[in-house]
Amino acid sequence: MDIEREVVIGNQAMARGLVEAGLEIAAAYPGTPSSEILPGVVYFKNREGLKIHTEWSSNELCAFEVAFGAAAYGGARAACFMKQVGLNVAFPALLKAREKALEGGLVIVSCDDPGPQSSQTEQDTRLLAALYGIPVFDPASPEEAADVAYHALNWSFKNKVPVIIRSTHRVSHARQSIDLYKPGARNVTLREGVCAGQGRELGIVASGMSYSLVSDVIEELGAADDVSLYKVLRVYPPSEDLSEFVESMEKVLVVEETDMVIESLIGMRHKVMGRADGTVPSSGEITYDIVRDMLSRILQGRDKVKPFIPDRSIEAALSDIAVTPRPPKLCPGCPHRAAFFAMQHIWPDAIFPGDIGCYTLGISQGSVDTCLDMGAGVTLAEGFYDAFYQDGKLVPILASVGDSTFLHACLAPLYDAVRNRKRFILVVMDNSTTAMTGMQPTPQTGVTIDGVATRGVAIENIAAGLGVKYLKIVDPYDVPLTIKTLRDAFQYLQGDDMLPAVVITRRECLLLSKGKEQNAAYPVRLVEGCIGCKSCFGTLDCPAISFDAGAKKIRIDDSICTNCGICYYACPVQPEGKNLKQYKEPGRAKQK
Amino acid sequence: MKHEIVCAGIGGRGVLLASTILIEAAIKSGLKAMASDEYGMSQRGGSVVSLVKVGDYASPFIGRERGDILLAFEESEFYKTLTFLKRGGLALVNTRAAALGPSVEAVLKERRIAHRLIDADGIARDEEMFQSANMALLGAFASFGIGPFRREVLEATIRARVPEKFLAKNLAVFGKGYKAAESKT
Repeated sequence: MDIEREVVIGNQAMARGLVEAGLEIAAAYPGTPSSEILPGVVYFKNREGLKIHTEWSSNELCAFEVAFGAAAYGGARAACFMKQVGLNVAFPALLKAREKALEGGLVIVSCDDPGPQSSQTEQDTRLLAALYGIPVFDPASPEEAADVAYHALNWSFKNKVPVIIRSTHRVSHARQSIDLYKPGARNVTLREGVCAGQGRELGIVASGMSYSLVSDVIEELGAADDVSLYKVLRVYPPSEDLSEFVESMEKVLVVEETDMVIESLIGMRHKVMGRADGTVPSSGEITYDIVRDMLSRILQGRDKVKPFIPDRSIEAALSDIAVTPRPPKLCPGCPHRAAFFAMQHIWPDAIFPGDIGCYTLGISQGSVDTCLDMGAGVTLAEGFYDAFYQDGKLVPILASVGDSTFLHACLAPLYDAVRNRKRFILVVMDNSTTAMTGMQPTPQTGVTIDGVATRGVAIENIAAGLGVKYLKIVDPYDVPLTIKTLRDAFQYLQGDDMLPAVVITRRECLLLSKGKEQNAAYPVRLVEGCIGCKSCFGTLDCPAISFDAGAKKIRIDDSICTNCGICYYACPVQPEGKNLKQYKEPGRAKQK
Repeated sequence: MKHEIVCAGIGGRGVLLASTILIEAAIKSGLKAMASDEYGMSQRGGSVVSLVKVGDYASPFIGRERGDILLAFEESEFYKTLTFLKRGGLALVNTRAAALGPSVEAVLKERRIAHRLIDADGIARDEEMFQSANMALLGAFASFGIGPFRREVLEATIRARVPEKFLAKNLAVFGKGYKAAESKT
């Protein structure tokens, strides 16, 4: 029989494995790098004509509890998906749930972000799992992730305890061709143990994508005869073979992401090299070059090993070339940019508590000062307010948060602000989607993951329901109106209400409205009238604007400019920009 | 047969589609293939690197000076990713320039790196398909006929991947890229 094959990313591979293992219920909150798993389940259930309930939850705790309820008491095969910091949100329920004998089966997929590339912090899901005795798997490729997902759900169902699959972004987002089996028919052989070279001088223990990297590097360096490579798939509980392997070796190197979990479980510090003794960098992603440098150093002098020596003449040849740096930025035309510009324009030195999402990037416009965790923009604003107000000062505090994060984590903080008489401005940047993680609907959208219309909940109704009285909705592209509204909101804070003010800046994310007509405001005048002051640079940080050093003028990249026209407001010589000057307010000098 | 290919460019310009076409073309030809994408946090306009490894590998990662081929969909991303390319490798660069700077040309020569400069943006613009410069560069790459990446295999993969509405124009851009690279040999 011909087995069907398809190129998928690791997240879709896990979805496939779970669907084949008889998954009945799946819930998730999107978060990079885990966001594609749930849509993967939807894709495969439709393809196979299976009945699986799938849902986006408002946060990870909700997702976990839905899946746990279905598995523990409902006897279902269930799963929930989240990123590593999302597991923290689900943690209270997870801790209790691990003790429960399930009637069904439960798989939690938690995707780590070594680096981190798209998270506020690195964190190792395996550490939590090992600490609290929850079985955890660490697959090394999309192909293996599909097998592990299939195995984990069956194993959980049989053994009645939840199982965690820890992926990393390098597995979740790698693309590979995998076998597609009919439901229940997957042929799984889990690969764990000594994979290459028995009884060599140096032992290497590795798991996840680090294992795959080590394997490739050993081949490149020609070190196959010098090392024994042990692959760990189930990190907790560790296999007894692992301790036997380590005992049998003279020296052992442990390579794993992100914390020292396997290394700690092994112990035997006298013979183990890893993070504890500094052989492996203490944080950050483990890259090909890091593994190669490490092994080149450790295996130096062996006959067949060809250590890698970089050719620095490449950097020397490139030293004169001006390369465009491309740090993460809000997209050209992003409505958030306009809102941040307005906030910054009035009070350059206000306090700007920020939150987690695309709009964290407002930091480059000077309109975001903090990034702690989801929802913290609001609660930090409350703390800042009290700290100043105790000294008798009412300073402008402008917290910003996106629509999805508001619904995920800001309801209780905002209510706390109301009942505890806090005065600050909360700017809810509502772009009608969860943009950063790939345009998932929010509870406001009124549509399920299956595309079925449902009752959406409007942010303004929630804010009003929580007791907010000053509540305005503006189009952030209307910069003068946004500025006037924010000033008006601050006036309100000085009144008798003793309540926070909420301003919703509402405009659809450009990635959603792609193809729809945009404001036809291509900034021709901006270039023609440019005096080379670079004001628009710092206040907008728009990828479409660069500086032409030769012409001493700005340059617009017309291939990415969306004609939003916000840059006119940031220009001191254009009438739009001139008109805004009246709205600037002197404030405290910012403490840097 | 093993190939390590680095695709580098900026977000929203089809780098990931190009690498998908490469990996699918390899698989279509019965080879193992894997890819890894790096696109950071910005959705559009940021650096994008996609690594493609064809053959018997465990990981989709490419070390410094290990890549056989560098497909640079944007000139400044070429400089950022040049350290990926091995001695004796091949680089295709989307640029209007007739030559790279003298120090770069010298280091490429010293490292015996063959390179071809293709005005992929210009080719795409001529077909009024500004977003399809990726196809022009893929076409240029096809003219080298390396491993599974022959014209007919890549064209068949594009047919399977690109929506009908844009297919004819994309194939036209691909064909012009092919010719442009061929005429420079």
